[in-house]
Amino acid sequence: MRTSIITCAAALLLSTVAYAAEPGVTDTEIKVGDVNIMTGPAAFVGKGFALGSKIAAAEINAAGGINGRKLTVITEDDGYIPARSFQALTKLIEVDGIFALNGTSGTANVLAMMPLITEHNLPTVVTEAPAKLVYTPVRPSVFTFGANYEDAFYAQLKYIHDNMEGKDAVYGILRQDDDFGKDVEAGFNRAVKEFGGKAAVRVAFKKGTTNFSAEMAQMKQAGVTVLANGGIFAGAANILAEARKLDMKIQSAGVWSEGIPASAALSAPAGYDFMVADYVSLVGPANDKFKVLAKKFVTDDELSNISRYTYVAYIGLKTLAEGMRQCGKELTRTCTIEKLRGLKNFETGGLSAPISFDNPLQLSGTAVGVYQFDTKANAFKALSEFKQY
Amino acid sequence: MDFLMLLISTGLVSGAAYGLIAMGFALVYKSTGVVNFAQGEIVMLTAYIAFSIANGLHLSFVPLVLVTIPISMLIGLVLERIFIRPMLGEPVFAIVMATVGLAVILRSATIMIWGSEPFNFTAGMSTAVIKLGGIPFYPAQLYLMAALGMVVLAIWLFLRFSRYGIAMRAVAANETAALLTGVSVNQVHALAWMLSSGIAAVAGLLFAANFKLAPDIWFQGLKSFPAVILGGMDSVTGAALGGLIIGLIENLSQGYIGEGMREIAGFIVIILVLMIRPYGLFGSRDIERV
Repeated sequence: MRTSIITCAAALLLSTVAYAAEPGVTDTEIKVGDVNIMTGPAAFVGKGFALGSKIAAAEINAAGGINGRKLTVITEDDGYIPARSFQALTKLIEVDGIFALNGTSGTANVLAMMPLITEHNLPTVVTEAPAKLVYTPVRPSVFTFGANYEDAFYAQLKYIHDNMEGKDAVYGILRQDDDFGKDVEAGFNRAVKEFGGKAAVRVAFKKGTTNFSAEMAQMKQAGVTVLANGGIFAGAANILAEARKLDMKIQSAGVWSEGIPASAALSAPAGYDFMVADYVSLVGPANDKFKVLAKKFVTDDELSNISRYTYVAYIGLKTLAEGMRQCGKELTRTCTIEKLRGLKNFETGGLSAPISFDNPLQLSGTAVGVYQFDTKANAFKALSEFKQY
Repeated sequence: MDFLMLLISTGLVSGAAYGLIAMGFALVYKSTGVVNFAQGEIVMLTAYIAFSIANGLHLSFVPLVLVTIPISMLIGLVLERIFIRPMLGEPVFAIVMATVGLAVILRSATIMIWGSEPFNFTAGMSTAVIKLGGIPFYPAQLYLMAALGMVVLAIWLFLRFSRYGIAMRAVAANETAALLTGVSVNQVHALAWMLSSGIAAVAGLLFAANFKLAPDIWFQGLKSFPAVILGGMDSVTGAALGGLIIGLIENLSQGYIGEGMREIAGFIVIILVLMIRPYGLFGSRDIERV
């Protein structure tokens, strides 16, 4: 009897010690890290993302937190530079002592942080850069939400083929000469091969290019009618401006970053009703409902900055919180990872397809919807529901 | 033929932007012997200032230019007084490093004030497409080429006939001798910075009107550098011509060779020029490089 009591006490003591040693968790608080692009030309990605984290955390905390613990999000800027992402995560782990990670910046950035994530068994939900390199090979603590660029471009080109341009379409692609651009071209290749279309021009350009006059002259000369526009932000807008100058009649498929209001405003003057495909909803009742919710927690100024990056941050943090919630009071990283791995059909309020990580790749939200920007209405409209491609 | 003409026309447009920026480099180098590595950042800053003026006062293109240029010249003067004047007498390398530091400060300040998002900026110009001989242009593109011609002519007349222009040439030829003949070298240095900032304003405003306003405009300074090397570091009009040549080479190489040639063509030209004619097409032989 005495031995049993001692054994139980020792076990209890050990579990308490183990629990107490769990970083980023106290009786009243759980710290979640966010490494993001808060400065530089792509800062609106990080700012949109931080807004989503703020709304999710505020909603969770207003409802009593996670099993009574308040959720705190700590954001570190990486300026979109992979070496700085590594430093930022080191600081979040060593100094702030975070429990889990939600914001992970771009593809190269999350890959730079991967050794730290793996070493610390850090529960991580990747929502911003769901590239294949993130989930292959599978890292036990990493969960990926989102489709890849290959599927996003294939979905748009398929929609154009099925509903707009048909057999006589002449396809052209302009893409960055990096891994992101290769993903875009993979979707283009898949579409052209499947539709038996004519792929007239393939042009790769360096990141940061502003002048696309020669590239678009090549497109014009080849008689391109469907353009896979792999430019982002001002680059995508400059490509369409050149097309307008050359009086090209094209249907343009774009990167999902063009779905944010600031990007759409840049491209709008060219007058093309361009498309994007995304794994989060851009318009519809779910978005309207989200904005009503957001209004409770953010200012009107912040409200105007809501973008797709806000939605992905919100979904990522809510998913992570659900994993933590299922662990109950005795929250550990191991338990959170286990619960996330078992997550099935977690509803995101219609902002994306339901999330299930119970698959070998720990990958979800790969279904994409196709949207078109209506230049006259200055708004996106949904062309198709979320669908697997 | 249409394809070739399109490449040439748009090559001249981007070349005009390079030429204007390169003229700013050459003007400062000619008068002070310093390569101003903040020239691209001054282009960026003055473009943002023009943007704010245009939004605040709702000016059309010509009044906007007339308001922006004096403000930019004043900024050039202030930058020279704060960052460069105290460095006079120091090794040229130290002054060049000061311009590198200035570049970083201007970049950060611009993002702090205006943010990092790109903007549409028409600079009070129409965006209707104009066809000249069957070749389409945006008005901003035509203005850019016209601006290069006007600035080249104005600078040539200034250096050739004005008292200050002759003083500037005297300082460029022999600073000590100019000083002994009563030329105020300090004033000449300040004037060079003012003029180069004024030219930067024209370049920045028109570049932003053609390719959106974004903080990465500063990079055009680096991209214009081959033009200065080609034209000659101390040849202001040579730099303008160098810009046009680089613009043409970039566009033709991208159009006919492709695969990112646009980005490297200018730098290939730098290497070739440095190997064959280190002082550039129109530069003086005795340039001391840093």
